[in-house]
Amino acid sequence: MNSVTLDQKNLRTGILAILGALAMLGLGYAAVPLYNLFCRVTGFAGTTQRATEGEADAAAKAAQSIGGKTISIRFDATTSGDMPWTFRPDQTTDTVQIGVRDMATYFARNNSNEPITGTATFNVEPEQAGAYFNKIQCFCFTEQTLQPGQEVHMPVLYYVDPAALDDENMKGVEQITLSYTFHRAKDEGS
Amino acid sequence: MATTAEGFDTHTDDHAHDADHKPGFFARWFMSTNHKDIGTLYLIFSIIAGIVGGGISGIMRAELAQPGIQILNQAIFMVGVGPENLDAALHHWNVLITAHGLIMVFFMVMPAMIGGFGNWFVPIMIGAPDMAFPRMNNISFWLTVAGFFSLLFSMFVPGGTGMGAGTGWTVYAPLSTTGSTGPAVDFAIFSLHLAGAGSILGATNFITTIFNMRAPGMTLHKMPLFVWSVLVTAFLLLLALPVLAAAITMLLTDRNFGTTFFDPAGGGDPILYQHLFWFFGHPEVYIMILPGFGMISQIISTFSRKPVFGYLGMAYAMVAIGVVGFIVWAHHMYTVGLDVNTKMYFTAATMVIAVPTGVKIFSWIATMWGGSIEFKSPMVWAIGMIFLFTVGGVTGVYLANGGIDDYVHDTYFVVAHFHYVLSMGAVFSMFAGFYYWFPKMSGRMHSELLSHLHFWVFFIGVNVIFFPMHFLGLDGMPRRYPDFTPAYAQWNEVASIGYMIMAASMVLFFANIIYAFVAGKKAPANPWGEGATTLEWTLSSPPPFHQFETLPVIKDEAHH
Amino acid sequence: MNELESVGLMTLGLSLKRAHILLATLAIALLIAIAPRVVFAQEAAAADPAAEATVADDAVTTAGYTPMAPTEGKGMPIAGATDVQEQFSPIGHTAVKLHNALWWIMIIISAFVLLLLVYVMIRFNKRANPVPSKTAHNTLIEVVWTLVPVLILVAIAIPSISLLAKQYESPPEDAVTIKVTGYQWYWGYTYPDNGGFEVISNMLPEADALANGEPPQLAVDNRMVVPAGTPLRIQTVAADVIHSFAVPSLWFKLDAVPGRLNEKQMFIEEPGVYYGQCSELCGARHGFMPIAIEALPREQWEAWVLEQGGNVGAAEEAAPAADAAGEDAAADADEA
Repeated sequence: MNSVTLDQKNLRTGILAILGALAMLGLGYAAVPLYNLFCRVTGFAGTTQRATEGEADAAAKAAQSIGGKTISIRFDATTSGDMPWTFRPDQTTDTVQIGVRDMATYFARNNSNEPITGTATFNVEPEQAGAYFNKIQCFCFTEQTLQPGQEVHMPVLYYVDPAALDDENMKGVEQITLSYTFHRAKDEGS
Repeated sequence: MATTAEGFDTHTDDHAHDADHKPGFFARWFMSTNHKDIGTLYLIFSIIAGIVGGGISGIMRAELAQPGIQILNQAIFMVGVGPENLDAALHHWNVLITAHGLIMVFFMVMPAMIGGFGNWFVPIMIGAPDMAFPRMNNISFWLTVAGFFSLLFSMFVPGGTGMGAGTGWTVYAPLSTTGSTGPAVDFAIFSLHLAGAGSILGATNFITTIFNMRAPGMTLHKMPLFVWSVLVTAFLLLLALPVLAAAITMLLTDRNFGTTFFDPAGGGDPILYQHLFWFFGHPEVYIMILPGFGMISQIISTFSRKPVFGYLGMAYAMVAIGVVGFIVWAHHMYTVGLDVNTKMYFTAATMVIAVPTGVKIFSWIATMWGGSIEFKSPMVWAIGMIFLFTVGGVTGVYLANGGIDDYVHDTYFVVAHFHYVLSMGAVFSMFAGFYYWFPKMSGRMHSELLSHLHFWVFFIGVNVIFFPMHFLGLDGMPRRYPDFTPAYAQWNEVASIGYMIMAASMVLFFANIIYAFVAGKKAPANPWGEGATTLEWTLSSPPPFHQFETLPVIKDEAHH
Repeated sequence: MNELESVGLMTLGLSLKRAHILLATLAIALLIAIAPRVVFAQEAAAADPAAEATVADDAVTTAGYTPMAPTEGKGMPIAGATDVQEQFSPIGHTAVKLHNALWWIMIIISAFVLLLLVYVMIRFNKRANPVPSKTAHNTLIEVVWTLVPVLILVAIAIPSISLLAKQYESPPEDAVTIKVTGYQWYWGYTYPDNGGFEVISNMLPEADALANGEPPQLAVDNRMVVPAGTPLRIQTVAADVIHSFAVPSLWFKLDAVPGRLNEKQMFIEEPGVYYGQCSELCGARHGFMPIAIEALPREQWEAWVLEQGGNVGAAEEAAPAADAAGEDAAADADEA
């Protein structure tokens, strides 16, 4: 009787241990959406926020009270190594009023002789600005397809949250860089 | 409690073995379910892997002995690689550093510490007849062996610029995904899967054994510290390795099935791979050193003829190291572009680890304090380990500083640091453990003279190799470079000379083993005297094939 | 039983394989034995990896600009050195102070442990102390050796955290921006505020480096030329795999990651040439993509920019805004 008890006890402990390992395996996979969510919510790693028109209006109202403070925005464009596009900002820098929405445009041209779908990754520097950099509209929200030789100017509509002014970490930040990298969309193959 | 003892008796009676009935050669060594035999297999495997991994570092040190490319462009060890294809030769450098790292971590240190000494002595020290799942124990071992072959095989198949996986042991994306075509990286990843699966099963086995199979009276707080160290290590394995498995499986699907977990082109993030890898990778370094801590505690206590000082503090220091080890991972990623608050947190958290580590160092010294120290071979290795681990530990505190790391990150200073804690901390404790338990395992005494000589030559050798690497790092030499500017030549030459000294010491090691088997005296049950109080010394040397048919009862006054 | 048999078969296969691996192992061991001799025999055989570099050269070496000759021992490693390189940035000076303090703490702790060990070995060996004590607890000493390290660590943490804060100071708006792009295996330096031209920088072959009086493995064909005494906004990104932009004498290291931009401030106190190397494993020629920064007085740097076809000052708005949608272009004129 007792030997059965030990074997059963061992089996129970062993199964618990394996379950623990499986839970960690699951956690490893869960880290992918969780990390993504964490970045989007907190602005970690310079992840920008997405705002609705309504939120933008609210921010603009809030900005009234702080009296038209401005900040410089720098626009950066990169293409990944396998992307035969020309991609650059139409303006290198811009000075905007905090809380007020502004539009910037990026230029892209497909230099190859085949249609190419591109997808853009993005972040802002310094990283702590990620939580305050809101995009209302952006070409990076969807994939972009360009025909051979086609040129486009793509808009991004954004504002800087006035809450940035209250953040200790944002003190001394005089310029925020908004950076995009265009990659060849994965599903398209090569 | 007596009922449990009866339980064991009934259990073993089912198999109707008497204590020394051994199966035939093939069944004994290839289908083994005996923890001591599997421990022996692990030790032999680890020595073989150590020769391969150490041999690879020999090629590396030969290449680095002076500026320029001297060895890599020779076709002597890689077919199809000659001076005409320098990129393939340089790729081979990356294959060597990758293989050296993976072999030493997964196939040398871990199998020896946990598989070898853990299997041999955890059941004996807690008074158990065997591991909880003997057959699974065997599977663990052969999975590790299969993993080793998968890794070796990966070196001979295309891996992008040349043959083999040249990604570093960290296998960072996107170098390991879009940056390496060919099946080599897949085989390397598969190798980690196999070794990882083996280790997870092993960890399950140890946890179950230690929780359920302790002899009557052997409470958790009476367990020898080596058993404590293996228990903590098993938990680290169980919680850390699955995260690695998840991360490298995602690499594998990114490589072969078009997923984009770490590929920005599909919305993935290569930095996430680093977070996952180091969430495993940092506990991994404690996995490699904690069993060493346990062995050092046993040895220091034995040869000082004193119980371990501050036993509970020692046990819970290891638990603390294990727990804190899970929340410091990003100190390996200080330069990836973390924000300032994250970096401050990881700086502070990392430094916290120095506290329990300090407790261990000082407790070892306090154990020796007031003792009656005998300088037998295990003891000199243990004392050497304490000092060298301290050196590696303080450079760890230095590196923990995020602001300082901007200079030394990925330089030879880091190489020096982790070789001081591993190549000296872990390896010295493995040699200490080996000499401590060799008479018990083999039944033969090794030569004290040869083991002392081995110690001194090895001690000088590794210090001559690795101490100058601190200087190289401070002078700015990056890691993973096959060639360097002439300013780095002097210290590199010294390090390469050190390698030869170290290699010479290994001759003494093997000579000692041969001596023991050919001419060594028969080992008594307890060759180390009254200081050796743990249960393995109550058994004959070597212990019977099945021990503790009748469970030992641990009395209250028995100490650790 | 079936299960056992199959395990047996599997392991038999493995043992055959192992024989093969053993042979390979022996061969490797043999190689190590002869390695040192091979090293010296092959001294002259070093081939030059950069010779294959295929990336287009910029037409840099024209007219007024001639690359500055490096000063021996400045901004580069020194043979046989045992300490960090001399620093040429404010952050470097701050960091070196902490580095020096830490260095002493490390030496003192290691020496303390060594002394304790030596004392214990002499005082408490078998001959000197035949009867061991049985002391295994002393609460006071245990509390002490927990708390004292805590205090030491706190003492380290305070300057360490403030160093971090200083390193993360955001560059001012008018800092000169240089975008560093890591490629397999060379660097590209873009000057977005000066017309957006890109300088491609490849390692020089050893012979050329020596001919220029520059250290081999560190010298490059086209340097990253920057103004000295001016805040620089360094932004790093990679086109393929992760690289790391590192310059020891400026206490600077920042990874270049594909798909995301990193930024950090750099400030070079005086003109000079400062060498660095890629510090994140990036494939075969990871060791062959050095970094050379040439800091010039501001006017000379501006002259260099103009020579590259770039622009300085107010003129900078013209080029990038060429096909601007434009509403804001004029408002940017305050950028200088």
